Amino acid sequence: MNRNTAVGVGGLALLTVYLFFDLVGDWGRMAGGVDNLLVFIRESLWPPNWSVLEAQSYPVCEARFEFTCSVAWLGMVETLKIAFVATMLGFVLALPISVLAAGNLSPMVMAVPARVVLAGMRSLPSIIWAVLFVIVFSIGTLAGIFAMTFYTVGYLGKLQFESMEGIKNAPLESAKAMGMTRLETAWLVAIPESANQLLSHLLFMFEYNVRHGTVIGLVGAGGVGLYINTYLKLGQYDKVVALLIVVFLVVLVIDFISMALRSAVNEAGDVERPSWSSIFLPASIASSQHPTPMGGRAKEEGE
Amino acid sequence: MTATAQTVNEMAEPLVHLHDVAVGYDPEHPLIVDVDVEIVAGDVIAVLGPSGIGKTTLLRTIAGLVRPLDGHVELGVAPRGGVGYIPQRLGLVSNLSVQANVEMGVRVGLSRWYPPFFAVPKAQQRYAERAMEDLGIAHLAHHPVRILSGGQQRRVATAKTVAQRPKLVLADEFLGELDDDNVDIVMRTVRTAIEAQNSAMVMVEHHEALAKQVANRIWRIQDGRLVEELSR
Repeated sequence: MNRNTAVGVGGLALLTVYLFFDLVGDWGRMAGGVDNLLVFIRESLWPPNWSVLEAQSYPVCEARFEFTCSVAWLGMVETLKIAFVATMLGFVLALPISVLAAGNLSPMVMAVPARVVLAGMRSLPSIIWAVLFVIVFSIGTLAGIFAMTFYTVGYLGKLQFESMEGIKNAPLESAKAMGMTRLETAWLVAIPESANQLLSHLLFMFEYNVRHGTVIGLVGAGGVGLYINTYLKLGQYDKVVALLIVVFLVVLVIDFISMALRSAVNEAGDVERPSWSSIFLPASIASSQHPTPMGGRAKEEGE
Repeated sequence: MTATAQTVNEMAEPLVHLHDVAVGYDPEHPLIVDVDVEIVAGDVIAVLGPSGIGKTTLLRTIAGLVRPLDGHVELGVAPRGGVGYIPQRLGLVSNLSVQANVEMGVRVGLSRWYPPFFAVPKAQQRYAERAMEDLGIAHLAHHPVRILSGGQQRRVATAKTVAQRPKLVLADEFLGELDDDNVDIVMRTVRTAIEAQNSAMVMVEHHEALAKQVANRIWRIQDGRLVEELSR
């Protein structure tokens, strides 16, 4: 690190510390805070109340597995349904907008308005979209679907057009010289060439929407969040913790599925499959346990 | 080329005419100036010169990818499908299959309103199949391009252009990474296609001996000028 870089980094660190202390102001407010938190965890949060996995007393459960009548199952399944539909709708709606927004596929006169639309949709957090759609459709899953879809379009659209702008120039130039139309170039070159990133972003968005199901449920937009909201209002924090653990486990499962799906559009060597240790340990420690990434280089068939 | 063929070529309408073109990116420092040449059907032109002198930029200018700094390029071929371009990095879509890449060449022979979501009609698919057979990559048709070796990818890029049947082929060092046998296969296929279509080819090539062997015109770039060395 040269002197100028060191001064810059040091300056940024000092500024961060100064702003932090400035924002906190009165440190005396924190006296006994940790003790209070420990009491709260011991008395209200822990152990989690796993009754959320048991069948509800009403309506009477007639399913073969009683678990499927539990709050956790019903809420999570509804959240997964909302997240799936919203993610797919958002993906399909975002794709044409992102083609228009990509600077290497569309002229700036089209790209700028498309980017403004995406930025506008992204500026409102999904919970605000949820509030708006709850007003329109009243409490329920429809409001949740619309809220997530709108946010997904803004968020996914940005990731998509940035992926498309990142593809190699040669296929685009070849297409242009051949006289392919913009639609052909987008559909046959840009989208397949960035397929790996598009799929990766799609799966990330699905996972994000599942996690966010807990948030938009707070305003009555359906899913597991609706139950979490109810338990929060009733002060049953141990049930909230149990449901959050369920959400965490579902997110982990989605993560593994998405890893497997991504490898379909990747040569084996392109994906550095993360090991368990790389998920939970710092990179420096994890990499010393696995000095080389799993998988090799692209398979090459000899001439 | 025989004397008769040359006479016919001299009389033919140029496929491309570069009118006093200056090539480059910086108007203050053009790479090549005063390029005034014609390309006619039957031409196989090799562009020679050291690295960084502007050979690729000249090719890209003819392809319409770079605007000339001065003068203008008059294209006598159809804007859609008339020019086949094989860039140095081949321009293939790595996630698509060999067949899908080769069919892209066929697609520009269809109407511009033909939806890209639809498969290429069976009759036109035949051009793609024939090109893959000629270049010895038919057995790889359903493999994604990304898993192929460099030499195989070059044959895919060539097959795409052959299937396109353009009037003008622009190729940037497309014979690199090929062994002698494959150079023969590729050049034979391209020459046959050029003769069948009565088209022309401009190739940027580093290997001078190879270039002189396959070309009937040589353009050498030196001191910022294009010098025609061989015209037979």
